[in-house]
Amino acid sequence: MALEGYSLGIQRLDDVVGPVPPGTNILIIGPPMSSKDVLLMQMAAYAFMNKEAVIFISTNIPGNKLVDMLHDIDGFDEEKIGIVDCIARTLGIMSPETDLIQMASSPVDLTGIGVRISKYFEDFYMRKGIKKIRLIMNSLSTILMYSNIKTVYRFLHVFTGRTRSADALGLFGIESDMHDEQTLSTLKQLFDGVIELKIEGDKEYVRAVGFTPKPTEWVLLEEGGGD
Amino acid sequence: MLETGIPKLDKLLGGGIPRGRTLIYYAYPGVEGKVFGMQTLYNHLKKHHSAIFLTTSCSPTPLFKELKEFGWNFFAYLGEKFRVIDSYSPFIGTKDELGIPMDETEVIESYTLHLLREMENIGEPTLVVVDSLSTIMDLCGEYETLEAVREWNRYAKIHEHVIVYNFTAWPYSEDVLQELKENTFEATIMIGGIAERVIFGQYFGLLKAEWTPAERKSVLFKVVRPGGIRVYVPKIVVTGPHNAGKSTFIRALSTEAVSVDRLGTTVALDRGHVEYKGLSVDLFGTPGQERFDPLLKIIGGEAMGVFLVVDSTKSRDFVRAKQMLESIKAYGLPFVVIANKQDLPDALSPEEIRERFSLPRNVDVIPTIASDGVGVFEALERLVDRIMEDGINEGGV
Repeated sequence: MALEGYSLGIQRLDDVVGPVPPGTNILIIGPPMSSKDVLLMQMAAYAFMNKEAVIFISTNIPGNKLVDMLHDIDGFDEEKIGIVDCIARTLGIMSPETDLIQMASSPVDLTGIGVRISKYFEDFYMRKGIKKIRLIMNSLSTILMYSNIKTVYRFLHVFTGRTRSADALGLFGIESDMHDEQTLSTLKQLFDGVIELKIEGDKEYVRAVGFTPKPTEWVLLEEGGGD
Repeated sequence: MLETGIPKLDKLLGGGIPRGRTLIYYAYPGVEGKVFGMQTLYNHLKKHHSAIFLTTSCSPTPLFKELKEFGWNFFAYLGEKFRVIDSYSPFIGTKDELGIPMDETEVIESYTLHLLREMENIGEPTLVVVDSLSTIMDLCGEYETLEAVREWNRYAKIHEHVIVYNFTAWPYSEDVLQELKENTFEATIMIGGIAERVIFGQYFGLLKAEWTPAERKSVLFKVVRPGGIRVYVPKIVVTGPHNAGKSTFIRALSTEAVSVDRLGTTVALDRGHVEYKGLSVDLFGTPGQERFDPLLKIIGGEAMGVFLVVDSTKSRDFVRAKQMLESIKAYGLPFVVIANKQDLPDALSPEEIRERFSLPRNVDVIPTIASDGVGVFEALERLVDRIMEDGINEGGV
């Protein structure tokens, strides 16, 4: 039985893009201070409400802080979320790994990050029988601070592929102003679509590229992030 | 012989690694390859031998703290006989007092300099563990690293050191991967994942060892804390319609079998354990009646593979068998169809059954007469091969 598509969980984008097919990988590009992280959290919240599982790879917030942030969202269920914390160990936090939070040694430790993603895929898909899984990485930029583009490309090549074969939805955030155009266009090749954010004056806009024959119109995000 | 600390692997290697030889743990992304090198290192230190460790993706202090989960206390061995070269801390601009900090971490000569110097300073044949070669390649370039590794290996050979490399096979250039797998080291251990839609099991196997004939066999493993690498016995489910011969099939295969029968049919669970040609397999039978479907769900969820047993004479049961096949496919599990009761008149041939089930050519339909034990072991070997080959062929995952 074919899986139905994934809604992103951002009403204005879902209106124009519609449900995306299982196995889709999306790059979410936004300038610093934009609502990129808020959008990613909303996409996670939407998954909770719809009983999907979430694998959250955190490269800039320690796992326990992320749990605090996610905890109050409706539908939050520890059984359906797995966090790969890439930052705690480098901050000297030595708390042991749990089912909820797995620790990679550092953002350089792509091997370790990969092992933990695979564990969660196995856990959700095979053991818990959850077939809809969202893989969220809050910032590729942190990974790119420590590893060169070739290395990151190889890593993403493998894990966007895994997302595809698991019929999951991959959502990867990246800062637009931290990387040159060539880096971004290299990375874009690995994704089925891009969600772009921009700030003009005190307003923030979003559009989707690659889902429809032409990029969608820029639409206004409401104050404080998504809607 | 230097033992790896993984008994099954030492056996495949003919006892371990001889002096002056090099070995690569060649792991596919997403499987736990790192533990192999660390287990080999700890096993060696535990015997109070000297060792050199190069860490490239984590500082020594947090790494050794983390490894305590395995029951390994690396701190206890630090000193003249256990030297740690740390390229990670200088790379991210921090300090870690346990290691010898390396400068110029993006220049391959710097690795060569440090490794050769420590090998010389330690003053006796030793074990060097590099974790990991892939990070060095990421930082210094694939070809430059490959060239340097050849030099390190030559040096090790002359001075009778053993070098063990952890490596993650990201999609590097095909020729580099080939070179690493086939020609650069005296032994190559493949570490891969069994995958359908997701990886749900891990295996290791000996691809080559120049000092001993390679047995092309894969061993399933799990990583346990504490403990490390443990050989894992897969769970295979035997399912099929009512009275297809599932219990007979399990009994024909098993060295030990238990079944709960009432009025000649299985109402609860069959279990069997097979020891055959170095395979160690647990079999779990499911009752054929529809009311037991939730049980199939529970058992199927943790299985590594499935036998679907059908009575080749009862085409009226094929609808039920097809339903069962659909639920197996939903779990994404490797499976083999058993065309049982081939000795009876009117039995359909495996090919006819393949057609009725609309199965593609790559699915095995094995003819058996379970009551006489005919074909059952062929079927077992085939299914175990299928479970393994998904990971081994085409570079797996």
